[in-house]
Amino acid sequence: MTTRQAPAPSDAGRTARPGPRHHGRRVLMKGNEAMAEAAIRAGCDAYFGYPITPQAELLEWMARRMPEEGRPFVQAESELGAINMALGAAATGARVLVSSSSPGISLMAEAMSYMAASEVPVVLINVMRGGPGLGSIGPSQSDYFQATKGHGHGDYRVPVLAPASISEAMALTADAFELAERYRTPVMIITDGILGQAMEPVELTFREPPRVDAPWATTGAAGRPPRVVRSLHLEPEDLEKHNLHLQAKFAAIADREVRYAGEHLDDADLVIVAYGTAARVARTAVARARSSGLRAGLFRPITLWPFPSDALRQLAAFVRGILVVELSAGQMVEDVRLAVEGRVPVVFTGRTGGMVPTPGEVVAGLRRPWTTTPELPREAAR
Amino acid sequence: MSVAIPEGARVVFGRPELLVDRTSSYCPGCGHGVVHRLIAEVLGDLGLGPRTIAVAPVGCAVFAYDYLGLDFVEAPHGRAPAVATGIRRVRPDAFVLTYQGDGDLAAIGTGEIVHAAGRGEHLTAVFVNNGIYGMTGGQMAPTTLLGQRTTSSPHGRDAAFHGYPIPITEMLAVLPGVAYAARGSVADSASIGRTKQYLRRACEVQLEGRGFAIVEVISNCPVGWGMTPQESIERLKEVVAQVYRPGVIVDRTREPAAAGGPGGAASTDAAGRAPAGR
Amino acid sequence: MIAVAEPALDDLSLGGAADPAGAGRAAAAPFQPVLIDVDRCKGCALCVAACPKGILALDDSRVNVLGYHPVRITNPDACTSDAHCARVCPDCVLTILARPKPPREAPA
Repeated sequence: MTTRQAPAPSDAGRTARPGPRHHGRRVLMKGNEAMAEAAIRAGCDAYFGYPITPQAELLEWMARRMPEEGRPFVQAESELGAINMALGAAATGARVLVSSSSPGISLMAEAMSYMAASEVPVVLINVMRGGPGLGSIGPSQSDYFQATKGHGHGDYRVPVLAPASISEAMALTADAFELAERYRTPVMIITDGILGQAMEPVELTFREPPRVDAPWATTGAAGRPPRVVRSLHLEPEDLEKHNLHLQAKFAAIADREVRYAGEHLDDADLVIVAYGTAARVARTAVARARSSGLRAGLFRPITLWPFPSDALRQLAAFVRGILVVELSAGQMVEDVRLAVEGRVPVVFTGRTGGMVPTPGEVVAGLRRPWTTTPELPREAAR
Repeated sequence: MSVAIPEGARVVFGRPELLVDRTSSYCPGCGHGVVHRLIAEVLGDLGLGPRTIAVAPVGCAVFAYDYLGLDFVEAPHGRAPAVATGIRRVRPDAFVLTYQGDGDLAAIGTGEIVHAAGRGEHLTAVFVNNGIYGMTGGQMAPTTLLGQRTTSSPHGRDAAFHGYPIPITEMLAVLPGVAYAARGSVADSASIGRTKQYLRRACEVQLEGRGFAIVEVISNCPVGWGMTPQESIERLKEVVAQVYRPGVIVDRTREPAAAGGPGGAASTDAAGRAPAGR
Repeated sequence: MIAVAEPALDDLSLGGAADPAGAGRAAAAPFQPVLIDVDRCKGCALCVAACPKGILALDDSRVNVLGYHPVRITNPDACTSDAHCARVCPDCVLTILARPKPPREAPA
């Protein structure tokens, strides 16, 4: 499947509006709007956001649709306001969505730490743009570190989902709510400016995950002892205990929730590891490489945290090289190297600043001389 | 309670039910204790305990949830009005209260309080203003007075160097979404009585759906000010109350058509003002 | 070492005080209008300043579990239960009772 590379002009509200009669049909939808609608159909109780390119369409779709559904929508005064509104709403047990783009996610970092620590479920969508700083509004994947290792302070992890198509983004939106509530954690979905603004045919099939009991939620202490949603534990012994509880949760997530997809891996001896839009470019590159005799395959992480390290480690035994493709200066490549533990050369190619690598650039990366590192004889890599 | 009330005795004044019976960590003489008690009294009088979801700040009153028998959400520093907005929007039948100090509300949280007030969120905001950062050791606050010595203004606040104290409640009162703004004091029994009335009115404003309500309470910080509790009360009366003057600052509920807030009465112009003459 | 004060009987509820006149009647125990939660008191003395009758003072002779000199009432009979002390107390140390009305004389 090829990407429609030219993003559609912003026309929020003029794309086909899926109403009940459209259910199950295929319509052309813009990524940001499709994710918004998927969230609404997944039972999103409240949305809080702030305008930032390239995700403003998501906010605008919610501005129109949430009041139609009788649900709260707030354009906050800033991303700080939006994420903290989400924290409050989610603390009462509501199913909450926030969206933003790279610089706005930086502002949300503090609250993400609080949400992780207080175990409050919230789904955040980051439509990544060029950075660092104000950067550009072009697509990028340079928030991988932020999503998987950074944002707020403290010992915590957040599940991160990376769709590679608008249909997948819609499905993962519903999954994200489910994950967030099952584990009482914020969950992030990262897309980019292309996935956000491109239009693709999607089937209007939605899923509303069932609600989970929330005996911790602050709803007003009628007929029960008061509850507190908090993250302050002043005694070091108490805080360590809490941290160990969180770590056990992250271990459970890592054990059960890894997702990835593979293409042509059965006979591949060179593998491209890429996610999101980079994976779509890589898919074209794999097709071209195979047609010219290279046995290339694609390994596509869908959860960036928990990272599919085990699967990659196993794969490394069977290939002679891994090419990592990202729309960044190289961030996920570090996790790939960690996963394969030096068994096989891992090389990076990518573009940054809003530029998108071309299939040709990726194929050229595949054609490089794949020599093993001096420390690791070729035999040991098998 | 560690006092035994004799049978048949008529209690004129006692610990309200919503105030948890435990020793607080607040310093001797600190006004937070009084304000906590007034909140417990007012919410108890109005029967709001079971419906309240309160938002605690960062500051000395971070422990408010240990002392008031209410559901509480702990907000990051300054963000209580945004956290409260989120709660308010998804829980239309809850009673939502925020409790903030002067650093929380008027420094790091300025954006959140201005916009919650501007949106006319149906919230009751309690703002305890003691002109200092108590929890972190007595640094200068946005409401620290000129000339006042703090650990980060050791030679006294100087307008040229530090700028002027910020009359944040007067600033908020300009916004049409603010239905009620008042300033009380804990300086003496009479002031405390009036403060309780302001708090009660601010709660009623939320119940009546009139919009945003804020009660600032000027308070003392004996340790931060370097004074005995009694000296700090004197300073509160003679110095602080001359700059941050107690009284009702604005009461739009007395106007013919209240501006209301989201979901409130319509018939306002683009800036949310009721047309003149109504 | 901080002396741990025993709660003094005259600060708590009515005890069974003997009839000073020794008339043999069951004596009316002295009415205590102000009940003091001694171990919650932080010795801030705001109540001392607030009392219009000036009948509160910190008790220098004892120290409570918190390490403070708690308040005591020096002249309960002069108390009118106006509760100003209780209102200014940040720690709800003081519970105020209304003075019971004196019993009516039986008609002769």
